[in-house]
Amino acid sequence: MMMLKRDKKEEEEGGGNPFSNLERSSVLQEARTFNETPINPRKCGHILTKVLYIINQGEIIGSTEATEAFFAMTKLFQSKDPILRRLVYLGIKEMSKIAQDVIIVTSSLMKDMTGKEDQFRGPAIRALCSITDTSMLQSIERYMKQAIVDKVPAVSSAALVSSLHLSKSSQEVVKRWVNEAQEAVNSDNIMVQYHALGLLYHIRRSDKLAVTKLVSKFSKHTLKSPYAYCLLIRIATKLIEEEDAGSSSPMFDFIESCLRHKSEMVIYEAAQAIVQLKNTTAKDLAPAVSVLQLFCSSPKPTLRFAAVRTLNKVAMKHPAAVTACNLDLENLITDVNRSIATLAITTLLKTGSETSVDRLMKQISSFMSEISDEFKIVVVQAIRSLCAKFPRKHSVLMNFLASMLRDEGGFDYKREIVDCIIATIEENPEAKEAGLAHLCEFIEDCEHTVLATKILHLLGREGPRTPTPSKYIRFIYNRVILENAAVRAAAVSALAKFGAHCEELMHSCIVLLERCQMDTDDEVRDRATFYVNVLKQQQRALSSAYILNGLQVSVVGLERALHHYTLEPSETPFDMKTVPLATQPIVEQKVRETPSMAGEAVSKPDKAAATRQDVYQEQLAAVPELANLGALFKSSQPVEITESETEYYVQCVKHTFSNYIVFQFDCTNTLNDQVLEKVTVDMEAADGFEVVKQIPCASLPYNKPGTTYTLAHLPEDPTIVTGTFPCTLKFVVKDCDPNTGEPDDEGYDDEYVLEDVEVSVADHVQKVLKPNFAASWEEVGPENELEDTFALSSMSTLEEAIKNIIQYLGLQPCERSDKVPEGKSAHTLYLAGIYRGGHDALVRAKLALDSSGGVTMQLTVRSTDPHVSEVLATAIA
Amino acid sequence: MGFFDTLAQWLGVKKREVSVLVVGLDNSGKSTIINHFKPSESKNHDIVPTVGFNVERFKSKALAFTAFDMSGQGRYRNLWEHYYRECHGIIFVIDSSDKLRMVVAKDELDLLLQHPDLKNRRIPILFFANKMDLRESVSSVKCSSLMGLEQIRDKPWHICASNAVTGEGLSEGVDWLSDQIKDLIESRKK
Repeated sequence: MMMLKRDKKEEEEGGGNPFSNLERSSVLQEARTFNETPINPRKCGHILTKVLYIINQGEIIGSTEATEAFFAMTKLFQSKDPILRRLVYLGIKEMSKIAQDVIIVTSSLMKDMTGKEDQFRGPAIRALCSITDTSMLQSIERYMKQAIVDKVPAVSSAALVSSLHLSKSSQEVVKRWVNEAQEAVNSDNIMVQYHALGLLYHIRRSDKLAVTKLVSKFSKHTLKSPYAYCLLIRIATKLIEEEDAGSSSPMFDFIESCLRHKSEMVIYEAAQAIVQLKNTTAKDLAPAVSVLQLFCSSPKPTLRFAAVRTLNKVAMKHPAAVTACNLDLENLITDVNRSIATLAITTLLKTGSETSVDRLMKQISSFMSEISDEFKIVVVQAIRSLCAKFPRKHSVLMNFLASMLRDEGGFDYKREIVDCIIATIEENPEAKEAGLAHLCEFIEDCEHTVLATKILHLLGREGPRTPTPSKYIRFIYNRVILENAAVRAAAVSALAKFGAHCEELMHSCIVLLERCQMDTDDEVRDRATFYVNVLKQQQRALSSAYILNGLQVSVVGLERALHHYTLEPSETPFDMKTVPLATQPIVEQKVRETPSMAGEAVSKPDKAAATRQDVYQEQLAAVPELANLGALFKSSQPVEITESETEYYVQCVKHTFSNYIVFQFDCTNTLNDQVLEKVTVDMEAADGFEVVKQIPCASLPYNKPGTTYTLAHLPEDPTIVTGTFPCTLKFVVKDCDPNTGEPDDEGYDDEYVLEDVEVSVADHVQKVLKPNFAASWEEVGPENELEDTFALSSMSTLEEAIKNIIQYLGLQPCERSDKVPEGKSAHTLYLAGIYRGGHDALVRAKLALDSSGGVTMQLTVRSTDPHVSEVLATAIA
Repeated sequence: MGFFDTLAQWLGVKKREVSVLVVGLDNSGKSTIINHFKPSESKNHDIVPTVGFNVERFKSKALAFTAFDMSGQGRYRNLWEHYYRECHGIIFVIDSSDKLRMVVAKDELDLLLQHPDLKNRRIPILFFANKMDLRESVSSVKCSSLMGLEQIRDKPWHICASNAVTGEGLSEGVDWLSDQIKDLIESRKK
């Protein structure tokens, strides 16, 4: 300790870190001092501290160097100096992973661990466990058991915590210490009790029944340690979550009873646990919230902070439950601690009524400049949810956001604000113009390239559809003059979109783009030249295909296809239609999860990450029989065709090619006394389909997934595309020893009936987002148009009908037409996609609620191929 | 070393510190020998195979020894060499009742003598022909010929028969070792 004090003093005097300029090689050189006899504890301690420092700074020490230093350090065991010895323990722990033969100190540590010096025993146990592997554990097992039940709390705790670490690698050995851990739970020391409970739980973690027993046992007889109580609450919460039990569970009663515990820590933990449970009713929440309410007026700032933070989280799910605390939260707004005040205000924003918004906003702005970015983000998120909740307040909120954008702040903060504004624009058409205006102002002085390009992209998409698109041109062109290359390129693209969308602006846009052709950056010049040429053609179809729609194929797929094309020189030009399309559904899901991504939805496929479909394409190409089917058009989501807890578990993925369909069956054998061989799936072909080939899975051992494929030829008649395939799993069973997995030589044939596999229209269609549906609609033309009217009597709401239509046709909803404005009785749904073979397919569905409670639909299909129109038009019927 | 330390040593109040290395095959009795020198209150009654090494301190009439009691098990013997450089003397313990493994002990001894850290040093080596009480044990003379000790010319060595359980022969050996080390230090000073 003296050493540390002295160092601290030096630090204060010198005003800097005494270790800041250490160099690895010189420190290791100094470590040779350890070899000298007699040992100078003070000097050696200082050097060892330096070694520890450089290791903790992340310096990488080679194995040889580390081993040399480690062995030098082992000589310090000669000294009985307590400071030095404890530093040595730390050194052993740090170097146990990088040096070799660390086992050398085993006996020395065992001696210390069983010795008389209590202050050596705990650290020695920890160091010993860090150098011990599974094979050596047996030899120290006896000592560990003794240490766990030692009467010195520090020793017992050290042994328990070390056991917890050891159980990661040697679960089996540690399991045998359960009796000792059991005994340690009864200890009087609060830390020992906590650690012992932790170990007990860890040992029994995988056995749900045992954990349940553990909780019910300890919830009855009272534990002394508040820490142990907190742990018990967490275990109980996890159990409730796993069982989906809700408040009816006896575990819940236990947690609730903890609300009346005398320790604040336990009370808080219990309240927090109740609040975080998934299916709780307002009645279950009430006691927890009232406890948190009490904490709000506690004199301890930590408690106030914890309470208000938890209330903030509750407010997201159950704003009504928190309303009761509004008065206490109001008082906290003026709290001296800014973090508490911020959380209080944001909670109030979530629970408050529309009328209080103005007042609260005023209050926040008074101290916005005093809080850290992290909390500013919390405020922004609160405002975002307010925007969604009270669309009418958008002008107040937008103004506030705009003033926040103008203030100082880091990237994360600014991004959050921009995301918030973008989300508001998309949710609320009334806020669009104001929002775009604020964003335009922001990019005038924006240091973050990512944000500037994102906003320019948004302007390109949304700007042309506003009443006065021309006013945005100036902002965009300013970027071309003032910014770096990436932003300039984004600005050029945005300009081109204005040109393509608005006839009256086209001429001016061409003039501006022509100026960009002189740019110093290649990318900017290329884009400008390309766009100018496309726009000069004056063909709507051309500009909508190459400017508005963007790239619709998967980038990874395109790269592979082009590489393939260059390898095999041929006369035929490269065909874009052979490239697999970007899988829209995945992007779509992401958008739903995090609304902040909404702005990126279109630009997303540009990111060259391998999609799920690319992975499948590669897998299939690796099977020789399936390699020559051409480009993979679409892979469906996996469908379970067995119950998930049966003997054999099978999932089916359908891969559609231009003339074939491949059924991929992922099978898992859940019986540990059987090995399946020659596994195939026998399918009865539906009308017009023809099963061509089966590729068996050679062997399917226990719990190792295997794959078998069945190849079917699609019907010659292009209008027959759907069908139902009854399936049977056929295989040879060989019994085997569950432990060794050695199969018997003899086997017998067996089969297992699976559920039917359906091929639907959706399997032949790939989702594609058309940013400008009307243009695409005109472009395809009425040549192959089909129209029909249906009465969907089974649907009662428009939302339900839309969901079903999308699911059935497998097309991408465009222009946000999948969202129905509230209170409307009629709606038009626009769907777009590409049909197998590369034909564009567009669907317009006019929906109306009819008086009998059903939905009437007028479906219009346009496509570049007459058969496709027919297939889609008949699909719903 | 400070002035007071020198003074204390001259007056014989504080003894000179030296370190010795205790090596030998497993189950030859190294830890038991060291245990014998420890003061009776800190004696260990239950001796288990050493893993790695142990540091023990004991005093003879002139010197304070720090003994590195190394593990004799086959897989740890390669770790001995890390401690060769700093030691002032070596105690090599031989199980005189184990004729079968005497050649293994000889091999280990040859490796030790050839090691670059020891090869050119005039370092005293004390051999204990341990377990002399057992009936099948060989005499110290036979032991030294089996081990080929007469070949060692550049280092002072001494062998004595011992019984680590009763302590017989141990102090005689250690007295020789301390004399040798003292001489060595004296001669180095001159």
